[in-house]
Amino acid sequence: MNNNPADVRHPRGPRPVWGMKLLVLLVLLVMFAASGCGATPPAWFRLNMVEATKQKLTPEQERQVATVISAMFGTPDNPVALPETGLDEAKLRLAAGPVRSDIVGRKNGLYREHCAHCHGVTGDALGPTAAFLNPYPRDYRPGIFKFKSTERADKPTHADLTRVLKKGIPGTSMPSFALLSETQIDALVEYVKYLSIRGETEIGLIRAIFELDEEAEGKLPETREFLVGERLAEVVEKWKAADTALIDVPEMPADIDLVESIAKGRELFYGDKANCVKCHGPTALGDGQANDYDDWNKYVVEWTSKEVNGDADKQWVNRAHRVLDGDTLEPRTIQPRNLRRGIYRGGRRPLDLYYRIHAGINGAPMPGAKGTVPPEDIWHIVNYVQSLPYELDGELGADRPMVARDRF
Amino acid sequence: MPTCSRNKRSAWTADVPLAALRRGLLPSLGLGLIFVAVGSGCSDGRVRQPVVDGGAVEKLRTELVSSTAAAEGGEDEGATGIGWGTLKGRFVFAGTPADAKALSVDKDTEVCSKDGGKLLDRSLLVDSSTKGLANVVVFVRKSSRVKESAPADAPLVFDQKQCEFITPVFAARVGQEIDVHNSDPVGHNTNISGTSFNQLIPAGNGTLFKPAAETAMPTAVTCNIHPWMKAYIVFRKDGYVGVSAADGSFTIPDLPAGELLEFQVWHERSTGPNQALGLARPDLNWTPKGRFQVKIEADEVKDIGTLEVPAAALGG
Repeated sequence: MNNNPADVRHPRGPRPVWGMKLLVLLVLLVMFAASGCGATPPAWFRLNMVEATKQKLTPEQERQVATVISAMFGTPDNPVALPETGLDEAKLRLAAGPVRSDIVGRKNGLYREHCAHCHGVTGDALGPTAAFLNPYPRDYRPGIFKFKSTERADKPTHADLTRVLKKGIPGTSMPSFALLSETQIDALVEYVKYLSIRGETEIGLIRAIFELDEEAEGKLPETREFLVGERLAEVVEKWKAADTALIDVPEMPADIDLVESIAKGRELFYGDKANCVKCHGPTALGDGQANDYDDWNKYVVEWTSKEVNGDADKQWVNRAHRVLDGDTLEPRTIQPRNLRRGIYRGGRRPLDLYYRIHAGINGAPMPGAKGTVPPEDIWHIVNYVQSLPYELDGELGADRPMVARDRF
Repeated sequence: MPTCSRNKRSAWTADVPLAALRRGLLPSLGLGLIFVAVGSGCSDGRVRQPVVDGGAVEKLRTELVSSTAAAEGGEDEGATGIGWGTLKGRFVFAGTPADAKALSVDKDTEVCSKDGGKLLDRSLLVDSSTKGLANVVVFVRKSSRVKESAPADAPLVFDQKQCEFITPVFAARVGQEIDVHNSDPVGHNTNISGTSFNQLIPAGNGTLFKPAAETAMPTAVTCNIHPWMKAYIVFRKDGYVGVSAADGSFTIPDLPAGELLEFQVWHERSTGPNQALGLARPDLNWTPKGRFQVKIEADEVKDIGTLEVPAAALGG
C-alpha cells in the first residue's frame, strides 16, 4: 500500500485543519477499500469440521482428507464424478459452478442460483439464510433423507428427490421448483446426490482414521482399492440399491367403509400398538413427546454436552466450541407433526402417508409401524389421519375453535 | 483464502504527526480506524479450513482414474494356527464414583417410576465391595478364524421393562436373530442408531431384528417415546465380544490360538476417541485408542489380571 503518511502532513502548521481532516479521512477511506478481501476466491467445499474435530484429527490428517476428497470429487466449479459413482458428469456441470450462460437460453450454475443460499455450497445446510429458517434446511452430508418411497434406512430414489423438488415441502421453507424444466430438475437432483455421496464419503474417510492400525501412523492409504473400492463403494452401493428397494404397498381394500375405517384408525392411533398419541399428542396437535432431537441435531447436542465439556484437554475444548459456533446451528428439539393442519411435508397423497407410517421417517424419531401393524391397519390409520383436520369434536373439546384454520 | 492483516493500525498511529493529533484529528482518525477494522474483517470467525495442494490433488486423481484395481492378495495371511484359547480379566474403578443421577422421567410415570421408584443413570456402574467396573466392552478387531458353534436355536432377547433396557450393553453376532422385546404394559419404540431399525414395539410384544453389518464401536439404542432410555449394542461378525459383569470381570472364550490378537476396549463414559478406553498397560501395548495385544496359546486361559481404570479416564 502506498498511502505514505507523509502525504497527509501539511508543511505550514495549523491553518487548513479541515482540509487535513478531509485528507486523512480520504486516505483512510482508500485504505478501507484496499483492505477488503480482494478478488473473490473460487468457491470451495468446506471440510466437515464437526466430524473432523469430533475425531480429533491433526492438521496433517485434515489436509489429507481434504486432498483425497478433492481428488475424488473435484471442486464446486469443476465437479468430478468417478465412473464408480454412477453419476452423470454432464448433468453435474449444468448444476455446478457460478451462475452463467454459454448458449442463449441455457443456464448453468443452477445449484448456486436456486439452492446454495440455504443448503450451502457444500450441501452442509450452512448457507447464509439457513440460520433464519425453521425447520433448518437439510444437510445432505450424512446421506439421510426423510421423504421417500423406500424403507427407513434406504436412500431415496431419483424419483423421490425429483418429487421433492417439483412439489416443494409444504410447511417448510423449501419451495416448489416446478417452473424449472425437466432437464434442469434432473440436473439438480443429480447434483444433490453428488453432494450427498461426497459428504458421506468424507465422513467415512474421517471415521476411518480411528480404525487405522498403529502401523499406518494415522495416515489413510491413498490407494484406489481403499478409497474407491471400500470408502466410496460403501456409499454408492446404498444409492444404487435404492431404485429397487421400494416399499411394497398393498392396495387399500376396495370394499373399505370409510366411516368404519376412520373409527378403526382412531382406535389404533390411541392404542398402544401404533401409539401415535405418544408424540402427536392426545389432541393430535403435535403436543406429545417433544423434548427429543432428530439425528442432525442430536449429533450436535450429544457432542456438546458429553464429549466436549468433559474433556480434559482445554485447548481442544476451545476449538470444539469454535467449531460448534461456526459449523453448526443452534440445536432444536423435534416438533411432532400437528396432524390437524392438513399440511403433510412428505406429500399428501394417501400413499405418502402410508410410506411415512410404514417405514417411519429416517433421521426423525418417528418409528416405523412395519411388522407391528398389519398393512390393512396402516390404511385405517391413513384414513383417520386424513380425517383429522376435519374432525370437529371428540378429543379436541368444545373449548377450542371449530374451524381448523382458527386454531393456530 | 485471502488473509487479512490487522496490524496496519499500529503502524499508522505511530506515523500520524502528534501535532495534528493535538489539533483534534483524533476523533476523525478514530472513526476512520473503526471503518478499517470493520471493513477488513473477511474472516468469518470459523475454524480455519485445511489448505490443499492442487498438484497433490491432480496427482492422486490421475491415479484413481487410471490405475485399475491394484494387485490383490498378500493381505490374507491365512488361518495357520490351530486350537482355541480364552481371555479373561477384570476392570476395577480406581476412585470413588459420584452418586448416580436420577433420570427425569416425565412420561408414563405410573409404569416408568412404579411405586415412586427412581430411574438412575447407568453410565457408570461400580460394585461397592469389589470396585468392579461393569459394562466395559472388549472385542477382537480382526480375527483370522472363528470357532464354529452350533447355531442358536432361539433368538437372543433384548428386553425393556419399567422403561429401562434390561441389558445396558448388549452384544450379538451379525446375522443373529434378536427378539427386541417389550415387557412393559406401555408401548415403546426401539431406535438402534446406525442401523435400519427404529420400530414400534407394542406392550408385551416383540419384533425380530437381524443385524446386517458390524458396528465399529457400540452404537446407541434409544426409545424416542421415553428419551431417557438408553443402551448400547455391539454387533460383530465373529462374536468375540466380552462385556464386563457387575464385578468387572469379562471372559471371551474360543479365541484363535497361536497368533497376536488385537482387542478394542470401550466404555460409555470414556473420554477417549469414540469412547475408546486407553489404559497405562505397556506390557499389553495398550494404546490411547483403547487397543491392546495378546497372544494366547491353545487351550490356555489367559488372565490379563486386574485392569485399573483411573477416574480421569471416565471423565472424573
